[in-house]
Amino acid sequence: MAREVAQRELTPRTAALDAGDHGAFTECWAVLVELGLDRALLDERSGGSGLGVLDLLGAIEELAVGDGAVAMCVLLCNAALATLTDEQLADAPAGARWALVPAASGTEVTISDGRLDGRIACALGAHGADGLVLLLDGPEPAAWVLDKGARGCVIERDLAQMGLRAAPAASLELTGAGCAPAPGEAHDRTGGGSAELSVAGALALLRAGTAEIAHGIARRARELALAYAHARRQGGVAIIEHDAVSDMLSAMAVRLACRPEVPLDRARLPGEAPDLALDAARLKLDGTQALAVKIAATDAAVASTTDAVQVFGGTGYMVETGIEKLMRDAKYCQLFPEPNWVAHDELMRMGNSGRVDRAW
Amino acid sequence: MSSIAPERSLSEQFPRLAPDAGRLNVRELERLRMRARRFADEHVRPRALEIDRRTGEDPGWFDWDLVRAGAEHGMLGFLIPKPAGGGGGLATQAAVAMEEVCAACPGIALIFGAHALGVSPLLLGGPSQWDGVLAELVASERAPRPQLMAFAITEPEAGTDVEDPDLLARARITSHARRVPGGFRLSATKRFISNGSVARWLTIFMPTDPRRAAETWTCFLVDTHSEGFAVSRVEHKMGQRACPAAELTLDEVFVPEERVVGREGDGAAATVIVLACSRPPVGAIATGIARGAYERVLGWLEEDRAARGLLARQHVQLALADMEEEIHLARQAYMDAATELDHRALGGVMFNPAVRALGRLPGGLRRHAPVRGWLASERARDATVALLHRTTSERAVTRSLALSSMAKARGGDVAMRVTGAALELVGLRAGPVRAELEKLWRDAKLCQIYEGTNQLNRLEVYRGLCRPQALNCLPPLRPNRLGMNGETRTNGRARTHPAADGLTHARVEGAGGRS
Repeated sequence: MAREVAQRELTPRTAALDAGDHGAFTECWAVLVELGLDRALLDERSGGSGLGVLDLLGAIEELAVGDGAVAMCVLLCNAALATLTDEQLADAPAGARWALVPAASGTEVTISDGRLDGRIACALGAHGADGLVLLLDGPEPAAWVLDKGARGCVIERDLAQMGLRAAPAASLELTGAGCAPAPGEAHDRTGGGSAELSVAGALALLRAGTAEIAHGIARRARELALAYAHARRQGGVAIIEHDAVSDMLSAMAVRLACRPEVPLDRARLPGEAPDLALDAARLKLDGTQALAVKIAATDAAVASTTDAVQVFGGTGYMVETGIEKLMRDAKYCQLFPEPNWVAHDELMRMGNSGRVDRAW
Repeated sequence: MSSIAPERSLSEQFPRLAPDAGRLNVRELERLRMRARRFADEHVRPRALEIDRRTGEDPGWFDWDLVRAGAEHGMLGFLIPKPAGGGGGLATQAAVAMEEVCAACPGIALIFGAHALGVSPLLLGGPSQWDGVLAELVASERAPRPQLMAFAITEPEAGTDVEDPDLLARARITSHARRVPGGFRLSATKRFISNGSVARWLTIFMPTDPRRAAETWTCFLVDTHSEGFAVSRVEHKMGQRACPAAELTLDEVFVPEERVVGREGDGAAATVIVLACSRPPVGAIATGIARGAYERVLGWLEEDRAARGLLARQHVQLALADMEEEIHLARQAYMDAATELDHRALGGVMFNPAVRALGRLPGGLRRHAPVRGWLASERARDATVALLHRTTSERAVTRSLALSSMAKARGGDVAMRVTGAALELVGLRAGPVRAELEKLWRDAKLCQIYEGTNQLNRLEVYRGLCRPQALNCLPPLRPNRLGMNGETRTNGRARTHPAADGLTHARVEGAGGRS
């Protein structure tokens, strides 16, 4: 289903989406909402599709083959909604686009008496979102629903955003902005209510989802490069006949074949029905694996998309071919929710101490 | 942010440039570097992001003010021979200037780099070119609207393969120069031509017989005001946007005989020499991009509150050291390639006493009709080729091309690695510096593609350094006119006999070249 949507709705609009065409995005989002992909993790009682995390991640990968940024919006929306309580969900109208904003992308946001202060730069998907959930780090990680309309909250479009442009980034300037707690770590009620991912679970979901998006982008890059290598001739033969080109295509195939598995894949028993609470617990448990998967998948996507542009040569450097966009999108995956060097750092801390001690 | 001043002078960094090396005036080179840095700091750096944004919205937009400012700082004329009023430089000058401007903005630097590339084939045309368009270009530098040049070789169906003599023979060439009384009629579509939409003059390559493209590949000087010339589109590029890349259409454009650059059929050899000359500056462009990223990330780490404490992290220190190392080696590679070309491969031509004597003649005398007529004659063109053969060899040029290709490919990879690593260090949370680094990362990718893909360049390294091959990179001698001995013609190209070739090699190697 997601594959079909990607081919039918996203791929033809990818240039418009990249150019910031709001109309194109609205059309795509309407289709995704109709299919229930915007709140896939919620149960039917909360207007969701009742998918498990693994199914959502599979759908996100397929969407990313069509457009990585739209897939990112789906991921951010699901992750945000999955942290909310039933009461908060009741206030989130159907079709609304929410975004989860990890503090890893910002700096020094503090909470005091239900008021937020600080600044977050380049929060993906935050501009134009109907609702925002902030994941804050610190001694007691917590998720907070930001009251966008409240005084002290200024959201500005990040015009310099280079990649994943259909998930419009914004800077958030918070000066005593009102907020309400989402369940988060302090209110860990996993297993009850609609979804209620913990903070660690939500971060793990973001990382695993970003890995799937990167993988989808890399798949698209290889598809396009392979087709071009067969069609384009140089020196009297198709360029795929040149070792210089076939070596790059082969390397792309190897990276795809060696994709690391999302942690849940191994954890779910054969025939086991989706169970979000269980998935969430596993994601939280497998946070280190989610980090590792994200690092490997995004590094691979950057390498593959860069090679794809190289296969296209000068043509690939032109915006109209859509190849260079894949490279920009993949680079942003490498930097979200944190740059990979920070992810490495965190991986080691988690692995060594069994706790999350954020690098920044 | 201003650039970080290097602690060592050029002659300290590159002993081959020592003042007693004779041929290259190091003080002039240092002055050029300082002029380029001043231009970059005062005009380029402050406008780079804004121009990138505007050209992202409208690829046809072009900032002539920058060109005028560049002209005032000598950025247009450093490659033009001194007798024509220019700086008299070659690869080394172009490279040094490019690194400085590229550290600020490679897109803007490319305007001047593409201009220099367009000028390059005219240098091979010898003294016959000094008092024509080259002198006009120099005069225009001081005019309110300076003139730009462009170099047109890529076609819709032939990119990398038109830059390689072997691939050229099998390339899908669609352009054609048809001989007509008094000159040629040119029909072609040329793609991705940097400066193509803003250039006043164009050096363009195409065959006079499409069935024998390699043997009849010829360079023409085209006036873009000619009837039949059109800019069919300006491309929307990922990066290096300040310099427009255009698709050009030539529909039976007339080019008079005197605007054939060099001789008919010498284009493939000329292309090799031009690439040997232009790839070190591309290596410098890439090095400049990497340096720009390094300077910016270092500045961010030192000054930005958001980066507090990061400099104390070993990971960050190692990443910075790695960048410094990569940039240093990339600079060594392009300077080695540039000085090899300027001193060894083409030094004999550049500093030939006869050519210098001709250059010392008053311009008025050279422009006197009989002298000008002789300089433009086929005999004079033959003499230029003969001089090339006397002063260098195909092996020397092939080896020089290999070093140039190595510098280009290495530089392109370094630019991608360093900009990517810098971007990763600052992450998405950084403010304005992120936009600058993202731009440099987008700019860097082109360095792996233009002037031949890095893959093609590495094959040149194989041919020139891993194997002692010699490309057909000198235009053939014409023994019937010049009475030269020791050569034959095969497939329309001159090849020296093995014995003569061996003697040439012995001379080149004996002059201090590496095997």
